[in-house]
Amino acid sequence: MMNLVPDEELTEVGDLARSIGAELLAPAARDAERAGAVPDDVWRKLFETGLAVPVPEEHGGGGVPDPMTMLTVVENLAHGDPAIALAAYWNGAGALLLAEHGSTEQHQHLAALATQPERRTAVALHEGFGRGAAELATTVQVDGDHLRLVGTKRAVPFASDAELVLVVATDPDAGALRVVVVPAGAAGVTVVPDSGRLALDAVRAADVDFDVELPASALLGGAEAPADVEVLVQRLRLWAAAAALGTAQRAIEYAAEYATGRIAFGQPIGAFQGVSFPLAEASMRIEAARLELVGAVLALDERPATEHDDLVSLAASYAYGVGTQSTRDAVQTLGGHGFIKDHPVELWYRSAAAMAALDTDPARAPFSARL
Amino acid sequence: MYSQTLSKPLQDYSRQLREWSASECRPYARQADIDKRRPDNWREILDTAPIPLGRADVPEPDTVPTFEEGHWVSHFAFYENINYGDVWVHPTLGNGGIGHLVVQAMGTPAQIEKWYDDVFVAQRGDTGFALTEPGFGSDTSQVSTTAVQDGDSWVINGTKMYCTGGAFADYVVVFATIDKSNGARGINAFIVPRGTPGFTVAKENEDKLGIRSWTTSELVFTDCAVPLENRLGWSAEGGDAQVGKGQGGALSALAWNRPNMAAMAIGLAQASIDTVTPILRGQRAGFTPQRWAAVELDLEAMNAALERGRRLGYLAQTTVDQGAPSRTLSAASKGYVPETVERVIRHCMQLLGPEGASKELLLEKWYRDCKIIDIFEGSGQVQRIVVGRSLLGRLAG
Repeated sequence: MMNLVPDEELTEVGDLARSIGAELLAPAARDAERAGAVPDDVWRKLFETGLAVPVPEEHGGGGVPDPMTMLTVVENLAHGDPAIALAAYWNGAGALLLAEHGSTEQHQHLAALATQPERRTAVALHEGFGRGAAELATTVQVDGDHLRLVGTKRAVPFASDAELVLVVATDPDAGALRVVVVPAGAAGVTVVPDSGRLALDAVRAADVDFDVELPASALLGGAEAPADVEVLVQRLRLWAAAAALGTAQRAIEYAAEYATGRIAFGQPIGAFQGVSFPLAEASMRIEAARLELVGAVLALDERPATEHDDLVSLAASYAYGVGTQSTRDAVQTLGGHGFIKDHPVELWYRSAAAMAALDTDPARAPFSARL
Repeated sequence: MYSQTLSKPLQDYSRQLREWSASECRPYARQADIDKRRPDNWREILDTAPIPLGRADVPEPDTVPTFEEGHWVSHFAFYENINYGDVWVHPTLGNGGIGHLVVQAMGTPAQIEKWYDDVFVAQRGDTGFALTEPGFGSDTSQVSTTAVQDGDSWVINGTKMYCTGGAFADYVVVFATIDKSNGARGINAFIVPRGTPGFTVAKENEDKLGIRSWTTSELVFTDCAVPLENRLGWSAEGGDAQVGKGQGGALSALAWNRPNMAAMAIGLAQASIDTVTPILRGQRAGFTPQRWAAVELDLEAMNAALERGRRLGYLAQTTVDQGAPSRTLSAASKGYVPETVERVIRHCMQLLGPEGASKELLLEKWYRDCKIIDIFEGSGQVQRIVVGRSLLGRLAG
């Protein structure tokens, strides 16, 4: 039976994440950007909520949310601030990969990650334009008890801070997607000095070149039974895309509130359809994009793996498109007040575009000059 | 005869300007954005130009050449191609402000002689335009700055925002109401020279999303007295019935500059496409054939979108040059282009992936810059109202 309404538990988690976003993340957004890092006290409080580092209880954590809950959590934290939300998300994603697919040996890392907020992990996934997991060019090849990892990853969160970098790569011999657990400072890991980005500075992303030889046991899951990470990697893309929708939602809510109070031509500007319709369009599209992400999360379990790349790329590209369009419409609603830093909409405009540059598939989000 | 091809001399000028701005000016774009001002060595940079730029800072000022297409069409080409390098360049030429355009549109012959011909043309002074206030933008009838006659002076009180170059302009054209009960008809324009007692710069430069190299000032007028003859359209003895008055004057002065702002946006978008195209071609091996085909179609579609915007702008400015200016076309140009440009630059970033949003390239800067072009000098919504009124009359609003 179809049911598109989130259940009570999911709604509660979403509300909780949204209130944490509003009370903890939103007030710290400008500080995080200025410092290029999540402020320490904010990070610690976020860590204590249990939403930041998903580690199972048997490894000392607070439990791992199910995929749909993760989607809701990321969206609603990003409603507070996308940069801090994504910093927490990508750090947690490393723990999640270790927890879900790690070997017994690799699980040893989890207790520290679950209890020590200063610990960082990184997931190295993106490689330029948005492409499905099957097309990643970074390779891992296993030769006896060693492996060699070669490739370049773009915009790796916490590239210089993480003690473990979990690198997503294809194994051409096995014809499978793998994750290699690379310790910080391993020979052959080169973090490219980063000159900064349009937004999301708190994520502390940088490009990283890998030409690394490691024991084969560095494969996630271990040398004997390397994990099949395909579905989880696809989920990572969908969860990240949810942040674009949280940002978009917040931006249009802010713009709508502004339009309610700002008077021009004898009435609140929101009374003009030229102002209200773009916000209404954005609202409709955010709803549609959210359902598409939900649908894609479900489809990962229901559809054959050969279809995953396409459906994830489609859903993620649409969500990022909605994110950029909604935030530009929010800036436009505020007019001159939209492009000065006295209001946060310019931050969301930049953040949404920075997110969209991470994972938009050109084949699924063609340029369109509006007719 | 109908033609969509620029004359050879204008083409040559445009090409030289474009190549020069890209090679000599663009390298300073990042630092100008960080410093929030033009490069310190801007004069030396301008000295390298192989073509006249309309410089005001040299002993023998030159002008932007007017080609056979006319003044406004020539300027449209000028604005696109000088901004192809970056947005920091053209305000250094001394024509960044627009206050003089209001003088030209609303002034008496004596005022035009003094403030346009003498200060702006002969002395190449900077002029500012102060209309927007914290409490209003598009609805210019809400001017709350007041001007009260006191003997032989007008005494101005109020706060103005978003005045480009307002902090250092030789004079600012300030819009103030002399009679709030008379609504829009009570609004007049006053010339307030820099240094007038009571004229203070509350904030030299706003902290902005983009176009940071331009100074965007907040100005405060506190019991700021100017002579009676500084009221545009009036002398000390009274009004000149021949000249425009009130906010209408301000809007017509802005109208012909609007396509130039569209041209500026096109320059940024073309620069973005031209930046990503060779990078993408170099990465071609990383794309599946299907996806590479999509990339090539995108590049073609983005160039075509810019070409549409160019044609609209050239048409609007041709009507000005031919003496039958169309405010509708002017608005159409500025309504169509900036949003299209945003989409082009954003898509360029997405085609490159994370590199596209990196400060290694200027795409992220131009994406910040272009957003403002859709808001200043009449927002996209205002342009649509103007175009709508050509169809629906005053119903459109």
